[in-house]
Formats: sequence, structure tokens, C-alpha cells
Amino acid sequence: MSAQAKKYSGQPLKRIEDPRLIKGIGTYTDDLRLPGLLHVAFVRSPHAHARVTSIDTSVAKAIKGVVAVLTGADVNEKCGVVPCAAAIPDLKLPKHTVLAGDRVYFVGHPVVVVVADDAYAARDGVDAVEVEYDPLPVVVNPEEAIKPGATLTHPDLGTNVAFTHNVNGGTDIDEAFRRADRVIKQRVYHQRLTPMPIEPRAVVASYHAGEGTMSIWSSTQVPHYLRTLLPGMIGVAENKLRIVAPEVGGGFGAKLNVYAEEALCGHLAMRLGAPVKWAESRRENATSTIHGRDQIGYYEVAVKNDGTILGLKARTIADLGSYCQLLTPAVPTLTGLVLTGCYRIPAVKMEIVGVYTHKMATDAYRGAGRPEATYLIERLMDLVAKELGLDRVDLRLKHFPAPTEFPFGTACGVTYDSGNYQGALEKARQLADWKALMSERTAARKSGRLFGVGVSTYVEICAIGPSAAMPAGGWEWGCVRVEISGKVTAITGTSPHGQGQETSFAQIVADQLGVSIEDVVVMHGDTAVAHYGRDTYGSRATVIGGTALVMCTDKIIAKAKIFAAHLLKVAPDQVAFADGQFSAPGAEKTLSLAAIAGEAYVAKNLPPGLEPGLEASSFFEIPNFTFPFGTHIVAVEIDRETGQVAIQKYVAVDDCGPQINPLLVEGQVQGGIAHSIGQALFEQTVYDENGQLLTGEFMDYAMPRATDIPEYILGHTVTPSPTNPLGIKGVGEAGTIGATPAVANAVIDALESLGVTHLDMPLTPERVWRAIHQRTVATV
Amino acid sequence: MKITTSAAVAAPREHVFSALNDRGVLRRCIPGCEELTDVDEETFAVKLKLGVAGIKGKYAGTATRQDLLPPESFTFALDGKGKTGFVRGTAAVRIETQGEASRIDCEADVQIGGAIAAVGSRLIGAVARKLTRDFFRELADAIGAPPDVSDQNEIDALPDPGRDERLE
Repeated sequence: MSAQAKKYSGQPLKRIEDPRLIKGIGTYTDDLRLPGLLHVAFVRSPHAHARVTSIDTSVAKAIKGVVAVLTGADVNEKCGVVPCAAAIPDLKLPKHTVLAGDRVYFVGHPVVVVVADDAYAARDGVDAVEVEYDPLPVVVNPEEAIKPGATLTHPDLGTNVAFTHNVNGGTDIDEAFRRADRVIKQRVYHQRLTPMPIEPRAVVASYHAGEGTMSIWSSTQVPHYLRTLLPGMIGVAENKLRIVAPEVGGGFGAKLNVYAEEALCGHLAMRLGAPVKWAESRRENATSTIHGRDQIGYYEVAVKNDGTILGLKARTIADLGSYCQLLTPAVPTLTGLVLTGCYRIPAVKMEIVGVYTHKMATDAYRGAGRPEATYLIERLMDLVAKELGLDRVDLRLKHFPAPTEFPFGTACGVTYDSGNYQGALEKARQLADWKALMSERTAARKSGRLFGVGVSTYVEICAIGPSAAMPAGGWEWGCVRVEISGKVTAITGTSPHGQGQETSFAQIVADQLGVSIEDVVVMHGDTAVAHYGRDTYGSRATVIGGTALVMCTDKIIAKAKIFAAHLLKVAPDQVAFADGQFSAPGAEKTLSLAAIAGEAYVAKNLPPGLEPGLEASSFFEIPNFTFPFGTHIVAVEIDRETGQVAIQKYVAVDDCGPQINPLLVEGQVQGGIAHSIGQALFEQTVYDENGQLLTGEFMDYAMPRATDIPEYILGHTVTPSPTNPLGIKGVGEAGTIGATPAVANAVIDALESLGVTHLDMPLTPERVWRAIHQRTVATV
Repeated sequence: MKITTSAAVAAPREHVFSALNDRGVLRRCIPGCEELTDVDEETFAVKLKLGVAGIKGKYAGTATRQDLLPPESFTFALDGKGKTGFVRGTAAVRIETQGEASRIDCEADVQIGGAIAAVGSRLIGAVARKLTRDFFRELADAIGAPPDVSDQNEIDALPDPGRDERLE
């Protein structure tokens, strides 16, 4: 990394992306209009499990404008199965055809695809298809599903258990429990959530028969994954397939996937010889785009009476839904990597059972596995403190590793890169005015108010990840080109979709090359431009993708120095680079990067042996994950009459290392906390006992609204990561990881006087009211 | 989903019973009924046009009478579907004499699926209340009983008992 003055990095610059989005002139997939475009719609199963006994497409085919009506029998032999890339040993996988075959396995399962001249005819066609179903027994509760004799989700698999994953780490777990003075147990249900990006999915596919090439536009987080995995499904080679992710209106993990609809659109474009478009409806999004979370956990903590935690045992039952999507079974295993949180817990034993049920698949949703781990370790810390009569903050401090102990190896088998957990906790307490807050809590309780304070100290896994831990490479690629004009084009293999890296990467590159940020353009999301990449998820893009760009600029500066030495007639090691200028002692002039770029492309005076041009590409392989951390403190008051929770104070201190753009960091933290408040207080995806989805739109799936979100008091500490030259850690998921347990702990603390020690989320007014009511009745 | 409804009609229960088993009366009284045709003695087919929450749709289905015990009780086995979902299950009807009038208790145990479950399940109770009121108002009219007994109609749509059990 060059020793440049940082003009842009660290500045809270407004997003370069925003004007076009605010003005409504960005281009989303559904905005695309191609000549002869056909429209795709799906007939989806209203049953969670049924045999398809007959399909009559004759009426649909006769509708004016309908071009094709195809069933599983028509396409499943010609289109490959939906892939699962998770590397889980002995994983039992059902065959996931793009359309249902003779059975349907979840409500929303696509059964028939209709293609028409316009979207209206396509919908009419869907309504005209007659499908007869013979309903079959349904299993929706994963704990029932693993009992002997349970209804099978996929009878041909012979079991509902997809996999069992064991984590055994640290010292002897049995010895830890033998030495314990007490064992504290808790069952925790981490509810199913629907990601609900503001833009549902959309796909446009266009086949160019002459060249045999295919272009697919998709509202996806992972264009490069699609380019790698779709060839096996649609029979177009990787190097004849171009994937474009235009503007993407939110992903949150829901678009970190390879979906049947994406492959089918490609297949249909080839088969029908015309471009096709599918735009998902909100109801389809609720039933047929992945869900998140859904883990039931049984936890046991072995403790000494002084609060020392000796060991942690866990059994997690993860509801996978009916199919494994791209990373479905990998998500709960991430829980196993940070189960011990910020704490020195010497012995861990965890069993994760992945279970099939007749529901939509779960997969990565903002935080993916880490919110589950953080929620339960933070709930357990409160339970331990409560049981032993200890201060919950002191208990946490007691188990933090010291800042000097990093890199810190945990019993879960990972090595935390760097940390100062005490520093973040102290900063949060300062910002929260802790003493005053606790006095307020005491005073409120004396007057009979239900006032609670919640604390969560979290550590999470970002920069996912080192290739050794990934199914197919965890590096990132970048390319930086100084154009003949001196303008700079930076191409990233990450695929920003709201994270603002057109801005933060421009900041990094402008600083590295000493150019004006206005001269830098960041390109992404088109595999014809960004040839290779591992895309955006797991809070990885700025850390790994940003570093790849830094490596490119280092190469460019090194090459430019050779040019400069040649032009200034000095030895290369005499050339210094600062503020965009190349200079040498005794040289008559300095040279700008633009001047050198001009020479490099005109190429009439090349240094001997040097290629023309000023462009470099790099792959960055990160040696370890990064482990950002922080402390969230929340104060809530509960209305005793209604059970309504009001957040009185929200303090978040996050440490993601040095911040490239504090405004973007703040935006990520704010959005993450809003997601978390949604999970803690409102949101839950509900299926009834017949596998019917009951939360199919916003009237039933309660997203937090503006009035539900408090003013945040945000702060940060800065602990650089040794894993990358920028020292950065990632922040995209921090809010969703730290906030949920803080809010839940605050609500449960407020109910302390009623004898409540645990409630499962979401802590809706109804659930809180029931807790108050039952306890009140019981104590009268 | 279990839906229990009650209604009172100012007529002897024999009249009410026979009206409830008269397909001509049913054709007239079932809200949104567009067509009601005989399949056999116990079964009739019906086509309805109804709105549930924001979802308006046409439904076609059959009702088969079972456990006929005049003039006291009978059960309909229901099976209907439309583009926006399906309903299947049973509706047990019991009629008691209450003074000059009859009290009708209907206990439906139905499975609702598709979009009407995803979007409308929260409102099914309210929809059933309105449909019941409309139905019995028409029925009273059909058998010449005084019209307005709707305020005596009660309805209670219970949530699925298993639905929330993992969370309690």
C-alpha cells in the first residue's frame, strides 16, 4: 500500500449512486424492454404436499397472446436441477427440479410456466391452467419431523434429517459439566423470517442464436455465481454466458442464490427463440423466495457459582424447508463458528440437525447463522447472571479476552483476528450514560413501571471468507485501468446492491492513485465487464474487494514509476509518488498519473521491455475471516395494559476497524438495527399446521415502520484487522447481529419483576401482554 | 381452522331443517351463489363468486350431506377451489328449539389454502360472520320468518391450536 495522504477515505461522502436512485432513473431488471420480449408467469402449488394428478393446459394455450404453457414433464429433462453448493458431508439432497414433477413440496412450488406476449395474458394463462392435486400428509414442525414414524417431507429420502453437524472444541466438555456448580438450561426458538427486499426478484433472459450466447439480467447479489452455476442447468458454456445485475433493490441474502426461475428464463429464451422476462409479485416473493433463520436450540451452560463459565452444550434443530437452496445447510453451521460469542468459554459441544419440512427453503438472511449464535449466547449470559445474582455487565467483562490476547483462538475452532471488547463496552456505557440509566431503571421500577435495560456484546464473522472455508473460492477480483485521458476505471468482482461501494471504492482508489474522486468510475455487476468475482454477501465486499483494488493500484503505481523514471531519465528507485505526482530528486519536472497514462497508451516512447497500457488486475485471498464486534445498549418501557414495547434509548458502538466512509457505515448500522428491531418485536413467518403460509403480505408480516424506529446514538471504536492492508473488517450485518439480543434482553429485563426469565421472539404486544397477564394472575 | 357460528331463526326447527336441506332455498341463500346443481341425492355442486379480504375470486366445489338426523343435525363435507385458493373440510349443523324459534349452531373445521390463506386468513372470521348473517337473513325470508335476527348471530373463528405451539 502506498503512503498516500488520505483525502477521501474516512470522509462521510454522500453516495455517488444516490442521485439516480432518488430521481427514479436507475435501471432495475424489470425496467428492461427488449424487442419481442415475452412475459413469464408461474402456476404455483396451493398445497404444501400433494400429488399432482393431472394438469390441463389446453384452455390456457388457447388464450390470445399465450405463447407457451409448459409443465415439469416438458422442461425438467432439459433443464438441470437447482444447485446446492454447501459442502456438508453426507448431506441428503432431494432432486430439486426447476418445476415440480409429480409432487409438490411447499406452498408456492412452481408447477407450470406460462409465457405470453404481455404480462396480463401470462396471468390470464396462469388462471386458466387446471391442476388437480391429491393432498398428502404434511410435516411442518421440525421437532415432530425428526421423531420416528414422522411424515416424510421427501418419502424417497427415507428421512427428514438432511444432515447432522457436530462441533466439539476446546477442553473436555464432560469434565466441564462435572466440575460445574450449576447447569443452566434454556430452549430458544429463533423464528423464521421473510427477507422482504423492496424489489422482489426479476429475471430477463435473451439468447443470441447466431453466436450461441446468452445474456441474463437478474436482480441478484451473485452474478458470478450464476455464471458459474447456470451453464450446468441451461447448457450454455460459462464463456458464452453473460450475467448482469443492474440496480438491485435490496438483497439481504435473499438474492444470494441460484433460483429455478433464473434457469427457466434462460431455458425459455433458447427454447422459444425470444427474450423473456419474469418479475416476481410480492405474494410470490413471500412464498417462493428463501426465508431466513428458523432454528430451535436447546442450550446448557456449565457454571461455577462465581460466574465462571466452564462449558456450553447446544443442540440446534434447523428447519431447512423442503429443499436445499444454494447455501441452506451451510447457514446453521455458521452458528457453530461463533457460538461462544465474545467470551472465553473453554469447552463447546454442539450438534446441529438440519431438517426437511414442507415449507419454503431457508437460506442466508442478513447475518446468516451469526444472529442466531449471538442471540443465544447473549440471552444465556443474562440467564447466568440472573441465576447467580451477578451483574450482567461484570459477567461479560469477566469472560472477555484481553486486547493483548489477540489473535484469540476459540473453542469453536476459529481465531478472532483482533479485538478490544472492553473498549467498545466502555464506550457504549459512556454514550448511554449508564449510571443515570440504571438510576432511571430503579426509579421507574419503584413506581411500578415496566422499564428494562438490555445489553449485548457481540462478535461476528465478516469478510467471508478464506477460500479454505468456502465451497468455491472466497477471494475477490478487481481491475483498475488508468485510461488514456487519465480517468480511472475501477472494476470490482463484488456486486454492490445498496452497500454504496461505487462511492467507497472510488474513495479508496482516488486516494491510492492521488486523483480526484470525480475522475474515478466504479463498475460492477456485469460479468462481461467484471470477468471474475465472488460477489456480495457475508460483509465481504469492502474488505476483500477493496483490498483487491488496492493491490491493483499498487501494481499500477509500480509500473507508472518505471514509465516516470524513463521519462524523467532517472533510475526507477529514484522515483517518488505522492499526491498523484511522480517526481525524482534533481528532475526538471514532475509527472502526473494522467501524463504517464497518455505516454503508456500512445506508446511511442516505451521503457525497454515494458508493455503499453496502464491497467492491472488482482485476486485477493484473505488469510482469515475478520471479526468485528461491539456493544449495544437498549432501554425499553412496556405498557402494562397493552404489552406494547417502546424503545426509550438505543446506543450502538460498533468496531469495524477503520471506516472508509462513516456515512455508509452509519447507514449499514442503522438499517441493520431496524432489521433487528423487526425481528425482536414484530416479524415472524408463520405456516399453519397444514403448511399454509399465513404471512403472505405486509398486512400479516409485520415489518417495522418509521414510527417503530427510535433515534439511535451511534459510536464506534477502531481496532484494525491484521488480515488486510486497509485494516478494515466489514459492517453490513453488524446491526442485525448485535441488536436483536439487546432488544430482547431489554424487554425481558423489564419483565423481571414478574418472574419472566425468557420469552421467544417476536416480542409482540400480544406475547408480552400474555406474559404480564399470566404472571400477574399467578402471583395474585 | 375451526369456525363456529350460531344463528337464530324465528321458525320451528322442522322448517329450518327442511329449508337447509332444500337446494332451491340454498341456491337462493348462499351468498355469491352463481350456480347450484345436483350431483346426486347427497351431493350438490356449487359455483360462487366471493371476495375474501382483497382477494376476489370464483370458486367451484361440492357439498356432500352426511350423518343426516332430521330435524336435529347433519354435516356437509365441503370441497371447493378457485384460482386464489381452496377450502376443504366439514361443517356440522345442529338445530335446537328455543321457545318459538330455532337456534342453529354450525361448527366448521376447514383447511384453507393458497392466497386466501396467505393474505386472508386473518380476515376469515369476519368474512364468515358477514356471510353467515347474509345467509340466515335470506333463509328467514325464504321460510317467511321475521327477518332481522342478525344481532343474535355469533361467530368465533379460532386460530389453529397448533399454529403457535412452538412459541409458547
